[in-house]
Amino acid sequence: MAERAEPVLPVRTGWPLLPVLRRMAAMPLRDPFAFTGLLIYVLFVLVALFADQLAPIDPLEILFTKAGKLAANVPPSLDFPLGTTNLGRDIYAQLVHGTRSALAVGLSAAIIVAIVGTVVGLVAGYFGGMADAVLMRIADMALSLPFLPFVIVLTGFLGASTSNIVLAVALLLWPNSARVIRSQVLTLRERAYVEAARVTGASSWRILFVHIAPNILPLSFVYAAIAIGWAIITEASVSFLGFGDSESVSWGYMLQDAFSSQALSRGQYAWFVPPGVCIILVVVAGFFLSRGYEEVFMPRLRGR
Amino acid sequence: MKLILERFTHNALALLAVTTILFFMFRLMPGTPLAAFINENLNADQQQAMLEQFGLDRPMWQQYFIYLGNLVQGEFGLSFFQRRPVLNILLEVLPNSLILTLASLIIAYIFGVLAGAWLAWKRGSWIERVAVPAVLATRAAPEFWIGMVLLALLSFNAGWFPSGGASSPGLAYTNNWQRIASWDYLHHLALPVLTLALYLQGLPLLLMRSNMLEVMHEEFVTMARMKGFSEWRIVIHHAARNALLPVVTAFALGVGLSMGGNVVIETVFSWPGIGRLLVQAVSVHDYPLAQGAFLMIALVLALMNFVADLLYMVLDPRVSHGRKG
Amino acid sequence: MILEVDGLKIHYSTRAGAVRAVDGASFAVPEGRIVGLVGESGCGKTTAVRAIMGVLAENGRRAGGRVVFKGQAIDEATTRKLLWRDIAYVPQSAMSSLDPVYTVGAQLVEVLTKRGNASRSTARARAAELFDLVGLSESRLADYPHQFSGGMRQRAAIAMALALNPSLLLADEPVTALDVIVQRQILDMLRDLQQRLRLSMVLVTHDISVVAYLCDEVVVMYAGQVIESGPVREVLARPRHPYTMGLRNAFPDLMSDALELVPIGGSPPDLSDPPPGCRFAPRCPFVLAACTTSAALIAAAGKQTHASACLRDDEADSLRKAAMDPATWQRSSNFAMS
Repeated sequence: MAERAEPVLPVRTGWPLLPVLRRMAAMPLRDPFAFTGLLIYVLFVLVALFADQLAPIDPLEILFTKAGKLAANVPPSLDFPLGTTNLGRDIYAQLVHGTRSALAVGLSAAIIVAIVGTVVGLVAGYFGGMADAVLMRIADMALSLPFLPFVIVLTGFLGASTSNIVLAVALLLWPNSARVIRSQVLTLRERAYVEAARVTGASSWRILFVHIAPNILPLSFVYAAIAIGWAIITEASVSFLGFGDSESVSWGYMLQDAFSSQALSRGQYAWFVPPGVCIILVVVAGFFLSRGYEEVFMPRLRGR
Repeated sequence: MKLILERFTHNALALLAVTTILFFMFRLMPGTPLAAFINENLNADQQQAMLEQFGLDRPMWQQYFIYLGNLVQGEFGLSFFQRRPVLNILLEVLPNSLILTLASLIIAYIFGVLAGAWLAWKRGSWIERVAVPAVLATRAAPEFWIGMVLLALLSFNAGWFPSGGASSPGLAYTNNWQRIASWDYLHHLALPVLTLALYLQGLPLLLMRSNMLEVMHEEFVTMARMKGFSEWRIVIHHAARNALLPVVTAFALGVGLSMGGNVVIETVFSWPGIGRLLVQAVSVHDYPLAQGAFLMIALVLALMNFVADLLYMVLDPRVSHGRKG
Repeated sequence: MILEVDGLKIHYSTRAGAVRAVDGASFAVPEGRIVGLVGESGCGKTTAVRAIMGVLAENGRRAGGRVVFKGQAIDEATTRKLLWRDIAYVPQSAMSSLDPVYTVGAQLVEVLTKRGNASRSTARARAAELFDLVGLSESRLADYPHQFSGGMRQRAAIAMALALNPSLLLADEPVTALDVIVQRQILDMLRDLQQRLRLSMVLVTHDISVVAYLCDEVVVMYAGQVIESGPVREVLARPRHPYTMGLRNAFPDLMSDALELVPIGGSPPDLSDPPPGCRFAPRCPFVLAACTTSAALIAAAGKQTHASACLRDDEADSLRKAAMDPATWQRSSNFAMS
């Protein structure tokens, strides 16, 4: 009556990387939610790439009306699709260009988390012993740090730059993926084909990277997808609190700007609602994709 | 009992690690090593007192142990800008954060558990297909953004709730407890709690739902059906009781995590809690206050992790009653 | 007959189509007797027995046939009042069949009070009685399921099944998960209880030796259908269906001359798309052309005679002799593989 089947892993000795990659690529085609998530990502990537074409205005440029006055808090119109901020900046342009910052933060954090988490998980799980003990202690320490306060303190004192934020986020997110990957490696280590490879004289490193690592890949993607969302939300939160990078326009910056400019009391919804909606979309896309990859790694028996 | 000791040590060590990290972080900040506790704002007497209290002229490793000793006694130093003991400042605002956290979590969890169980029952219906992504969306939205939207709609627009702070100006109370129990306080508490609860309910809801779905397929539930029990008894007495286990521990963990995460909510609503204190302290570089606030949050986190471990041990008979022959 | 199953069909709807887990099974249980329901995994025996209880998975439904208990036809809707009070079930894996967060005693009391209308104090006394009946110490009532060993858990499961004095006990592989010595103890206990309490029993198992040890009648299932039934000594000594003959080869009698272990080549058919005619035909060494188009089915049971669903039933004796020779199966296994 088990809901979960065992991980579907090939029992041949051979490089499992290609079949795994194929399954991962095919996954969105079978899972409508994951497909939606992928679509959302693609959409945002396109917006980021063509930001200059989609919104040819500099998001930080102060604009003036034809009469020469500051174009402050202009309601949405044909000239300004989402209106302007109280300093006369085009909100729509900020939203579009903010995509770049969001994706940059999200992707870099995701890549770091994926790499660090996977490598640590593989090493700790496969080699065990001292390496395992040390790595897991470090992971525990990272997990006992309060997340947002730590990011705040770090950026508050080290300086408010996007890379600091990404660093802080990555530092605190890798333990989760490392732990889960480690426990999966522990199971895989005992599998028959690993035994077989060992018996035929394959070295530990070879077994690790050729046989075990490819099967772990979907899990890495699960946590990478989750990390993208977390990083974006954290960056938004930190920016909102005033510790964000003031050079670049991000969605978090927009929300902070709106809040401190009393956009709430003015009911200027066109300013602060769109950035939030964009964040929701990107993060939800991450959720959907991560659930899809989880399915690739550990298929559940369907039909129930 | 050995297990309890083990979990206690584990969490205590984690807390120790955090304080150590903090110690080195603040020492390595730009500025002199003294800058962590001494600032021109403090008068000469105060500066001297801090020098002695924290042994700031001693070697680093000695400072470390003095630091730890001070922490255990609750000595966090003096706030640069308020020029009084950090601990006092922290204790003043701690109740506000605790009330915010606990109220939001309780509401979120009660709702989440009921809704999650109900959704599990509605497996396969269109309700489920719509509700699950909707709940995921609540988890995907930044909490402060939810707060902003609610503020705009319900406070500025509709005028139902105040727009910030924990009390209206001009009101006086004889003591803290009276203040907290007043309608005015509750009125101010309402929006922040609503926002947080909206954000937090996603976890218990999805967790309860997935637990229920799993448990309903367990053999003992089928057996309960075979015994002819009513659906009510099966779902509540057997399935839900089993499904609730992880949710209860999640609640305990949630308290710890929330204390840290409330930073943004407290800022949106100008709610005078520890999170907002931390943000303010960091922005003006009031190091002792920032350290103190951070440590207090970390302490609650470690404490609640331990409580979660305890709860799990107590509630699951498989853990609390070991195996016998 | 306390129980008559007539042409029972249980189908599961899955994404791949309907799986016909039980497709026309007929057998009967005489009052006060133990009937063994035997077959390999996937043959539908557990499904059939659970269907009698009226408890099926979400995607399962009865697609045909009748179940008659004490002269009344029953189905999912009407079984409810009988459940546990008249028909009880002993599960295969007693560990997962008990709620892990309540003590075993509490769960017994629950059944006795909620389904049996006893008062709490009466229930507690009765629970102690039941434990005594199955050889468990009363102090164990306060323990949780995970604190019991395998054999003890099975005893507790039996005590649970007997709580409301049912007339019919459906035991699903009750000893499969136990080691041989404990198996024997539990089987002896079952026989003892059955005689003392005058129970009727259906014992589902894939192990013929259990059937030989405990049962009065045996019903052999294959691929969702009953292919042979009759008194146990008869069927085991003189099987009439090629599948049973093959099964018997798989369980050599320790006393007789050592026969080689002769496996039946091939594997059971896919039940979402079963072959027409006799389902054993692809693996049968005695198959004829007619076997693949039409199948004999054991008609509504009710006689204690020895019946077999084989077209060549009249040649049973000679086929049996041939079946004892390993070479017969060798040839058919080659055939089945192709």
